[in-house]
Amino acid sequence: MRKIVQNLKPVFSPHSVAIVGASETPNKIGNVLLRNFLDTKFPGKIYPVNPKYAELVGLKCYPKVSEIPGKVDCVIIATPAETVPDIVEDCAKKKAGGVIILSGGFEEVKRFDLAEKIKKIAEGSGMPVVGPNCLGIFNPYTKVDSIFLPMYKLERPKAGGIAFITQSGAVGSTVLDLAAYYGLGVSKFISYGNSTVLDEADYLEYLMNDKETEIIILYIEGAKDGRKLLEAMKKVNKVKPIIALKAGRGAGGQAAARSHTGNIAGSYLAYQAAFKQAKVTEAEGITEVFDFVKIFHQPKPKGNRVAVITNGGGVGVLTADCIETEGLALATFSEDTKAVIAKILPSYGNVANPLDLVADAGVEAYGKAIDAMMADPGIDALLIIVLTQTPPIDERIVHVLTKASDARRKPIATISIGGTYTEAYRKMLESKGVPSYNSPNAAVKAMGKLILYAKYCDQLKKLKG
Amino acid sequence: MTLIDDFVLLEKHGFRLLPYRLAKDEGEAVKAAKAVGYPVALKIVSPEIEHKTDVGGVKVNIKNEDVLRLTFREIVQSAKGKKVEGVLVQAMARKGVELIIGGKKDPQFGHMVVLGLGGIYVEIFRDISARICPLTVADVDEMVSELKVHPLLEGARGKKPINKKSLEQLVLRVCAFMQEEDLKEMDLNPVVFDEKGCDIVDARFSR
Repeated sequence: MRKIVQNLKPVFSPHSVAIVGASETPNKIGNVLLRNFLDTKFPGKIYPVNPKYAELVGLKCYPKVSEIPGKVDCVIIATPAETVPDIVEDCAKKKAGGVIILSGGFEEVKRFDLAEKIKKIAEGSGMPVVGPNCLGIFNPYTKVDSIFLPMYKLERPKAGGIAFITQSGAVGSTVLDLAAYYGLGVSKFISYGNSTVLDEADYLEYLMNDKETEIIILYIEGAKDGRKLLEAMKKVNKVKPIIALKAGRGAGGQAAARSHTGNIAGSYLAYQAAFKQAKVTEAEGITEVFDFVKIFHQPKPKGNRVAVITNGGGVGVLTADCIETEGLALATFSEDTKAVIAKILPSYGNVANPLDLVADAGVEAYGKAIDAMMADPGIDALLIIVLTQTPPIDERIVHVLTKASDARRKPIATISIGGTYTEAYRKMLESKGVPSYNSPNAAVKAMGKLILYAKYCDQLKKLKG
Repeated sequence: MTLIDDFVLLEKHGFRLLPYRLAKDEGEAVKAAKAVGYPVALKIVSPEIEHKTDVGGVKVNIKNEDVLRLTFREIVQSAKGKKVEGVLVQAMARKGVELIIGGKKDPQFGHMVVLGLGGIYVEIFRDISARICPLTVADVDEMVSELKVHPLLEGARGKKPINKKSLEQLVLRVCAFMQEEDLKEMDLNPVVFDEKGCDIVDARFSR
């Protein structure tokens, strides 16, 4: 890892933050930023920087970063593009830990000259620069938050294991909002914009060694350096799973291509190839990112033999259909499992996979069936369908499923299909870390991705001996 | 670069093409056919014709001299008004599965290879799989398994599976060739595979 990438540490875990362009005018970025730091009770020092004020919201305001008396770990810049190179220079002079440039007006409007100046300063001093033209970073562990969107409009997720690297601030913020809504925990959020100094490959490498990060989501429009990205993905995905979402997936090649290959091979095909070569899990949309990320928190399965439990026959069959389409296998139950199931089923029940506990099934039946399947060596993963509309199902099912998930013996995914009432159950499950899906297709596809990644990790282990 | 120059360069890089001769006139075509052995295929060679089949510039399975002479005239007629370098007289390929093995230089990732269902319907079915160069034999095997046409390669409907080894070697060779010659685009299409090996029927590339 490059030194300048390692130097990101104080940016993510600062003891002091300077906000350049801090403002007293409500709804101005410099004001929202300052308020966010105050509202989240950032434990370190906050230094507003703006020559216009002597004091801002009760804090002493400084004319420039270099005039702040103490150490400055993280500088957030939200001033017009023209002013930014001088400010970055001043930060380097001050030996600030790192800089986040939120301002736009650089490469995206062809001001390569300004971007070049910033790059020179950063590389000369080894001071990392995030952005420009981005939302910057969010770290719930240290309460650093350069996202200039008000908290009441964009909820911040709790601390957890999901890191999110995004080129687009818009996609980034919606994903963050959704993560908070579903109760998913985030380790680091990085909106990197123009990647003038540090690019997606650098952030991947940084997160590989970040102890809070377990899973990495990468949203990408166009890589700065495809080869470098491929190498970084190969390296990092071996240690932590990467879930990638690529925008601009049109299949078309160059219209003027002379060859068949040139005709059919568009730029997306190259990204697809790179994802496959690095064994990175590719999602096809924001919804799928969440479908996948949820299940990657589960333990890795040893194989592809799936057991299905349901209280509604039809949904069990639909799930079995998906299992076949995804190339997974329906597990065969052991004699022990069969004996347990025979006892919990009504006289007209059928011991088979999918296991239909029938609509009379209560929470206890689920508990017993799950326990038997967790102990069955012929089963690698469980898909548990709970149709909450049936009379015997009540909130105790959340406890049973949470227990099964927390035991971390085998991966589970739950499926509940329905309206408002069902959605309330699903939210409860998600907030307890139990993956919940509202369709068999989504659940089975996600399980398939986890199985594929687990297989890759097994192969790596075998190679290592 | 003419088609023949392309073929010569490919052979220099270790690609084994079907036996061929370039015939400038009917008499040369007769001699060429004798040399490569009947049955033969005739193909128009013109820098102004991108897709030969579309203009009737390809005739196959010509079994004797009489048919050869007739067909030669027909093909030359089909390219009337266009600049013609000659007619390619080529041995007939084995029967088997037609694949395309191509390459492209991507502005982001550099050279990549593409494997897919070949022949004249490449653009219609788009049954393709790609990888970034360089790649390993394991990568090629994965590419093969990603194709919809995959069961056909494994020997569906009582047929023998294709010769995997020759496919692997060819894909790796395309990768190396693309990088060594720093090509922009390349097609080997079709390449016909059976259980014994493969025949490269047509090739093109650009820098």
